[in-house]
Amino acid sequence: MEFLSNLALGFSVASSLENLTFCLIGVLLGTLIGVLPGIGATATIAMLLPITFQLEPVSSLIMLAGIYYGAQYGGSTTAILINMPGESSSAVTAIDGYQMARKGRAGIALAVAAIGSFFAGTVSTFLVALFAPLLTTVALKFGSAEYFSLMVLGLIMSVALAHGSVLKALAMVVLGLLLGMVGSDIYDGTPRFTMGITAYADGLNFVAVAVGVFGIAEILRNLEDEHDRQVLTSHVGRLWPTREDFRAIVGPVLRGTGLGSVLGILPGGGAILASFASYTVEKKLSKNPGEFGHGAIAGVAGPESANNAGAQTSFIPLLTLGIPANPVMALMIGAMIIQGIVPGPNVASEQPGLFWGIIASMWIGNLMLVVLNLPLIGLWVKLLKVPYFILFPIIMAMCSIGVYSVASNTWDLYAVAFFGLLGYVMGKLRFEPAPLLLGFVLGPLLEEHLRRALILSRGDAATFINRPISLTLLLLAVGVLVLVFLPAIRKSRDEVFTESEG
Amino acid sequence: MTADFTRRAMLATTAALTMTLALTHASPAQADFPDRSITLVIPFAAGGSTDLVGRVVAERMSQDLGQQVIVQNVGGAGGSLGATQVAEAEPDGYTILMGTVATHALNPLILKQKPYDPVADFAPVSLLVLVPNVLAVHPDVPADTVQELIDLAKAEPLAYASSGNGTPLHLSGELFKSMAGVDITHIPYKGSGPALTDVLGKQVPIIFDNLPSASGHVSSGKLKALGVTTAERSPAFPDVPAIGETLPGYETYSWNALFAPAGTPPEVVTRLADAAKAAMADPKVAEQMATFSATIVASDPAALAEHVAAEMAKWEPVVKGANVSMD
Repeated sequence: MEFLSNLALGFSVASSLENLTFCLIGVLLGTLIGVLPGIGATATIAMLLPITFQLEPVSSLIMLAGIYYGAQYGGSTTAILINMPGESSSAVTAIDGYQMARKGRAGIALAVAAIGSFFAGTVSTFLVALFAPLLTTVALKFGSAEYFSLMVLGLIMSVALAHGSVLKALAMVVLGLLLGMVGSDIYDGTPRFTMGITAYADGLNFVAVAVGVFGIAEILRNLEDEHDRQVLTSHVGRLWPTREDFRAIVGPVLRGTGLGSVLGILPGGGAILASFASYTVEKKLSKNPGEFGHGAIAGVAGPESANNAGAQTSFIPLLTLGIPANPVMALMIGAMIIQGIVPGPNVASEQPGLFWGIIASMWIGNLMLVVLNLPLIGLWVKLLKVPYFILFPIIMAMCSIGVYSVASNTWDLYAVAFFGLLGYVMGKLRFEPAPLLLGFVLGPLLEEHLRRALILSRGDAATFINRPISLTLLLLAVGVLVLVFLPAIRKSRDEVFTESEG
Repeated sequence: MTADFTRRAMLATTAALTMTLALTHASPAQADFPDRSITLVIPFAAGGSTDLVGRVVAERMSQDLGQQVIVQNVGGAGGSLGATQVAEAEPDGYTILMGTVATHALNPLILKQKPYDPVADFAPVSLLVLVPNVLAVHPDVPADTVQELIDLAKAEPLAYASSGNGTPLHLSGELFKSMAGVDITHIPYKGSGPALTDVLGKQVPIIFDNLPSASGHVSSGKLKALGVTTAERSPAFPDVPAIGETLPGYETYSWNALFAPAGTPPEVVTRLADAAKAAMADPKVAEQMATFSATIVASDPAALAEHVAAEMAKWEPVVKGANVSMD
């Protein structure tokens, strides 16, 4: 078994004392920046790049990778405790995780997030090792037509399955799509809806929008309501989930891991998409969909597993093709080049120690995270006991620093303020922020791929049905629509994004 | 708007004040330059080739200057945001820019509203490196030379991928089209990465890319390099001809150069240029630049000024001919 001997080589590299130490530094640092809302892995890795010049290539990449998946862990902590997604991929976790915290189940929510992430991390590490070459071929088959059809399926699933205030969910998706239009048209450079502000030429910053509609809005709501200050639940409750909790999370964790592993391979926000997709699926499959939005444990377990699996498998295109799936991966490529390693298909054969060492270190890092985080949960929840005339300003300052650090762009801060207000007003009117974010993420991709597919086919729309993968995805989308509008099924439609009552 | 206006006004006032001060007390302050950390603005997101060159150089310049050179990524609007920030900064040498062919030749030609003047608003410091671009195709494309590709393009419709509208790679493609007399559809992407993915996956047959980002795929045979865009062949790929061997006079490359805001005292500019030269002379830096296939120039300020003028003159007809413009 070549796979086993490769993994053995990887573990022998990754378990040297030096590499274990750098792995630990990486995951600790990652957890820390993940806990600080807004300060992302991208900024941290960029700042640390020069330091890595002095290290061995494999140590530096192990450390940087540790920061990345450590941040995914840490990001969910703040999402659960204070409704501030520390990382954009944990935006979904905030929905139910925070509700669990308000009900005194913060400890369990955090533990479930950690366990789900660990399981997903373990599975996807082995997936990376086993299937990296194969999965890469699949990812390469995805051209613009396929991506477009995938986005269509995603949007239809999320909207069509909604009921109750379908109209409000739709309105939010559309508003999200429109907000996604802000910025330069990538095909001819025409600025759209930028109000003449050059700083918005590349569009609104996702972190700014997410921090605004979730976090700042939450702070405003709490400030307003003197009697109902729930941002700081004083009791965390027990940490270890009960037997029932475990039963409730097995399915979501497994499905989340699967979804995340697949979507993570696709370039462009795979981990974010994965967490949204997992949330939608769990809500659809749940026996009590009404529970979602009010502290459903599956709403934490699924998306958390999905985003961690996605974070892991996004290394596949990086390691096998030298193609970054997201900005963090672009930085990793930079780190490799600085070390004199040309990223690309040759890395696995020319530098097997490095390639398999990184893969093995991911599993070791995930183990470290779970061992570290279970006891650390106690420390993180102490955050809840800090009085909020201290905590709120700190959170606001941290968010601002974090958002600013992404591109040193003052206008991103104005965007945070604006979306904070918008989120607050939306909350008053019982509109949910999640569909808005989904539209905001998918909108620009939908447009980019639609137009590119059409340019490539010279304006022939048949390209979407002539390509088998694209056709399959579109048929699935049609299938979803048909199912939804059949009267019998209509009755059992679930609420997907309509978890009102905030 | 108002806030921005006041800030600009304040900056202008501070700048004027500093200049007056600098004029009255000429050199003593400059003798100690630098006496605090220097900010190197990189006008692109972290991770790209400009960012890499910048970080390597900043690290080494810090040793020479005895003060930390801090890298700040101010990405956005194809480099215009970062360049504008430095153009408006205090001209004291403590805020400098990692300029590129985009910020100091292409954007000023392409943008209808010019946020800064690449010549009047900057004091050139040093042209650091030249980075070749490469014309490559998917291995299944039935063309092994530039000439065969031109013939193929005349026979059937083709498309090429680039890292975005108005980027050096897009214009390298446009220059190629006009010199070869062919029409190839341009497909812009958001950066080199996704463009490469689509060419490797055979969604688009042709790509113009930076040599450093494409080199791994070329050596592994996943991409077929037909020609480099520099006048000479690249030492990293001696077997790949220059496009100029088929289309005489064809020459494009990306470059990175340090700029300070206009009005920076000449002694300070010289000090920075010396530090840059020392950095580029370091064998370790040279080794790292070689891994990016970058050719080290490390020029003096006057040579950079000439270089900018030459680049503007070279690109103007291409930009006009390709009819690329942005608001």
